[in-house]
Formats: sequence, structure tokens, C-alpha cells
Amino acid sequence: MNMKDIENIVKIKKETLSSEHYFKSLLEQAYSAGILSDTQLEKIQFDCLALLAKQTNKFNSGDSSSIRIEKAQELLDSIMFTIGVWMKTYSNPDDSLEDLQKNGVSAVYEKGLERTELLIKSAKTLHFSIMRNLLKTDNVFYSSTIVDGIKGFFKLYYPEFAAQEIHITADYPVYHPVEGLLGIEFIRKYLECIYYENLFCTQFPAEHVHNLLSSFDEHYEQLLLNIYEPVLSAAMGCVLSGGDVRKLKMTSSSIMILKDLFSGKDRTAMMEILKGAADKLGVQMILPEHLMNYIYGSLPYIAMSVENAVRLKTMDKVFILPKYPENDIKIIYSPVEKLDDEEYRKVVEEIMQCRYFEDKKALIRSKIRSLEDLEDILLDAELKEEEILSILKELPPAEIAVLVQKHLMLSAEERYDLRESEIVLHDSLKKFMSSFPEKQQDLIKKAAAALDISYV
Amino acid sequence: MAFELSLFNVALTERQAAGEVLKCNELTARFGLELTEKQALALVATRSFALKKNGRIEFGGGIIDKMIREFCDSPYLSAHDYEETLHDLLETFYLYKNETLDLISDDDLIRYMKNAFDAICQGSVELLSERELYRLARNLRRGYDYDYSYADEGFAEDEENEYEGY
Repeated sequence: MNMKDIENIVKIKKETLSSEHYFKSLLEQAYSAGILSDTQLEKIQFDCLALLAKQTNKFNSGDSSSIRIEKAQELLDSIMFTIGVWMKTYSNPDDSLEDLQKNGVSAVYEKGLERTELLIKSAKTLHFSIMRNLLKTDNVFYSSTIVDGIKGFFKLYYPEFAAQEIHITADYPVYHPVEGLLGIEFIRKYLECIYYENLFCTQFPAEHVHNLLSSFDEHYEQLLLNIYEPVLSAAMGCVLSGGDVRKLKMTSSSIMILKDLFSGKDRTAMMEILKGAADKLGVQMILPEHLMNYIYGSLPYIAMSVENAVRLKTMDKVFILPKYPENDIKIIYSPVEKLDDEEYRKVVEEIMQCRYFEDKKALIRSKIRSLEDLEDILLDAELKEEEILSILKELPPAEIAVLVQKHLMLSAEERYDLRESEIVLHDSLKKFMSSFPEKQQDLIKKAAAALDISYV
Repeated sequence: MAFELSLFNVALTERQAAGEVLKCNELTARFGLELTEKQALALVATRSFALKKNGRIEFGGGIIDKMIREFCDSPYLSAHDYEETLHDLLETFYLYKNETLDLISDDDLIRYMKNAFDAICQGSVELLSERELYRLARNLRRGYDYDYSYADEGFAEDEENEYEGY
């Protein structure tokens, strides 16, 4: 080893530095390693202070000499982030430190600002190419984040005073989580993940992706889920079990094949099987190399899910079979005409004035002709629970199914908003249903789920 | 090693600011107003205290010299209360920089303070702070002109008074 080699030994290792607070961690490491003396560190701090004063003046448009501490801290964070953006371009942190000491904080900051602008441009290009070929899906978070959210970011992002801000929540989760990044660096990386995932998902017709996601959850449109994961798993499953890859269609026997294939294997063996499947998938679908690299990067996550699935015997939750909701049986129910308001009001008043329940029942029998009116009466006539139960007993199962769909199959939000009379009807129906044997309950619930009420 | 704002040494900037305050004596001497070095340092200390109290930070010489230059010709300033008034004005200034949400520039706020101090407040810093600047801050926060008055529209001057008696 000669003197030149000794000089080339890297004193600060890049991987030990924080990607989020790069500049700060670099200074910390340099100071503790003795590369920076007290005086040198103090000079860098004072240079940062001078730059902060300049930025504050710019921020205030020269109108104010003072600024709120929180805002000043934000400006300082922005300065340090921008300097970090430039310093990250060096593969050797020692060189970046040398650049800082040689050219000064201001010059490095300017370079960082230029680099940030470049990152913005490249992120915008990436966003544009994603938008041009965006997967058609009903999932609301997919388009709201990728289209509206990212547009919002570009609108709000101002690298000069808040380069470290992300501004948006980036709700849609990407398969390779983006961690330890801020500002444009985060968005650039996030868009990169979206680009690959979107590119992969668009290799399949949108309807097949829809069928697959419908199987994952019937209401996947409202779910915050990653679309790429089930699509990639299903495609790999098809390759491994001989299913139709383009249609992402496996059969129930495929799950058995996959179970046999993976059981008793350790993580390394699983990774090898998955790697082989990914290679075949790449060849079969003629996937570009950069996308293949992203897929290879996803394999450890899939292997982990498969390992858990083998242990928990839930292979069908990793490799999902498509579902075709449009083929489900639908029962069309068309409500008949209701009483006019005046007449209905009279009936309700009469019922409410009755002293005995038998009289109320007789009135309902004679005046009420439709299920809709009966439903209104159950809500408006201030009937007690036992009275409602007695009326429900006289209804045929089909009408019970209609009431069950309207008053029992409610979302958590709908349940929260119920009126007092609706709560009484809900509880009575629940009690009434529980009086049936389980099999009959299931039949009514199935009929209720298949009901399509068409209001004319 | 922390890299926070609090780490930056302010002693140097304080000494610089005191020097700039003393330079103002050349201008104010003809009005019979002068500050000693001790008084200048005390004013700078008040500025630091007011900044800290209001959660602000200032770079450069600050606004003490601007304040002195604006107020030195006021008929309500005399040698015996000069320093004390400046202390009060400084604290009031930073309080209302926050209260106005930084919607007014330093120069405009000082000018507004001077006009009100000399005219309607007749030299009372208390009136200036509690009434005139309070109204200015409220107007700015609501997007009105500096001198907008609710009394002109027949409303109560103080919105809290509107509900008196309820």
C-alpha cells in the first residue's frame, strides 16, 4: 500500500449517513471523525446563518428584518436540505465536504438549487408518462393520488423557501415503501415506484385487473390498497401453476399446486422459485429490463407473504382467484306506488291514536298496500319493538329480504347516522332475524345482497 | 451536535446593533436626545427579550435605529423619558409584528406608530398599543385598510362589546 492509497481511504461512509438529513449527519460524522475542526464547523454554521439572513430577507421581500422562529427554522431546514441534495451527488462524502470547504456554503447551496430544479423537471416528465398510460381502475385512491395529489405537489412546491416539504399525503401505498426522503427526492422516488407498478399493471386488460381486485374485496374501489401486489402475485401464480397469465386467471386447483410447491421450503428456496417464475413472466410478456429489475426487487416481499401463507394455510389470500361480480345473480325489485302524502299522514295519525295494538294492525292491514308504505309506518308510527316484531312475522321472506337490505346491511357510517326510529327498526329486524335458524338467515341475507332495488 | 437556530451566537450581532444605535446620537442630539453606551446596550437587550418573548428572530442591526430616526422629532419625547419610551416602543413593535401576521412592513408599522403617537395618542404608548395598534392588527387580519373603523358603519368598535348584556 503506497501513500496514495492511504489518502484514498474513505473517512465517512455514505451508507452511515441519514438520507433524510444528509448534510447535518455529514457534518456530525465529519466532526466526530476529526475531519472538521471546531473553527471549521463554526465557519460553516456562520455561513449558514449568513445564508439564512439572505433567504429571510428574500422571503420577507426586504419588508421586515425579523421573522417568526418557526419560519426561520423552516428556511434553515430548506437550506440544509438543498445543500444535502447537491452533496448526495458525490459518491464519496469526503469529496462533498471538500467541495463545501473550498467553494463555501452559498456556492454549494446554489448548486443544490440547480440540482433540485433538475429533479423537479425529471419528476414532471415521469409524471407525464404515467398519466399518458394510467391504469383504468375504479379505485379512488389510485387516480386521486397519482393525478390530483401529484399535480397539487407541483403546484405547491417552492424549492427556494421550503425544499424539504412534501405538501401532499401521497395516500396510495406503493409496494416498495419510500422512506427516509423529503421534498422532491421523496416525490421523485414515489413516482418512480408508481411508474413501474403502473407499467406492469397496464400489461393486463383493465377488466381482468378489476376481476382480480373484486375478488380481493368487493368494495376495493374505496380501499387503500396496492394494486400491483395482487396483480404481480396472480401473474406469478399463473406462471407457476399453468394458468392464463394474460387473464390473471388461476383455478382452484392452481392453489393446491402452489401449496404443494411452496410447503416445506425455506425462504431461499421460495425466492429461487419466484425468481424463476419472474424470469418466465418477463420472457412471456416481453417485459423491459428496468421493469424486470423492479419485479426482482418485489420478490422478497412476495416470498415473505408466501412463507406466512404456508404457515397460516392462507395461500388463496396471496394468489387470488379472479371473481366476476357481473355474473352474480341479481334479483330486481321494483317498488310499487306509495300512498299520497295527505292520505298517508291520516293513516299514521289514526294508527298513533289507537289504544290497542290489534286495532293498529287492523288499520295497517286495511290501509297499507305497499311494502314502502309499511316501511314508513314502521318508522313513523312510534311502534314498540314487540309491535314491529309482530308485524314482521306476517311478512313473506322476500319482503323481509328487502327490509334487511335497507336496514340491516349498513356501512359503519350509515349506522352512525341512524335516527332514533331507524335504530328501533334496525334492532327489531336484527332480533327478528336471529329467531330464524342459521341456514334460513343465510338464505335471506344472500337474497338481500343480490337484490337490486330499482326506483322508477 | 445540534444544528438548530438556537446554536447561532448572537453576541456579535448585539454589539453591532448597539454601535448602530449610538451612531443615531449624531442625528438626535439637535433634539436634545442622546443615549449612553449603557443605554444603547440596554435597548439591544430589550430587543432581544422582545424577540424571544414573541418567538421571533432578527438578522442584522434590527429596527432600533429606524425607530430612533422616526421618533426623534416627536414633540412628546424629552431627555428624561427618551430611553424608557424607546423600550416600550420596541416591545410594542415586535408584539404587533406578530399580531399583524407580518402583513405590514417594518417601515410602514414604525411610520404608523409615529403618526398615531404624535396625533391621537398624544405621546401615550399605552393608548398606541391597546387601541390604535390593536385596531390596525384587527383590520389587517380581516383584509381592511389600516384605518378602517367599525364606527363608520355603525357597528360597535370592539366586537366583544356587541354581545354585552346577553
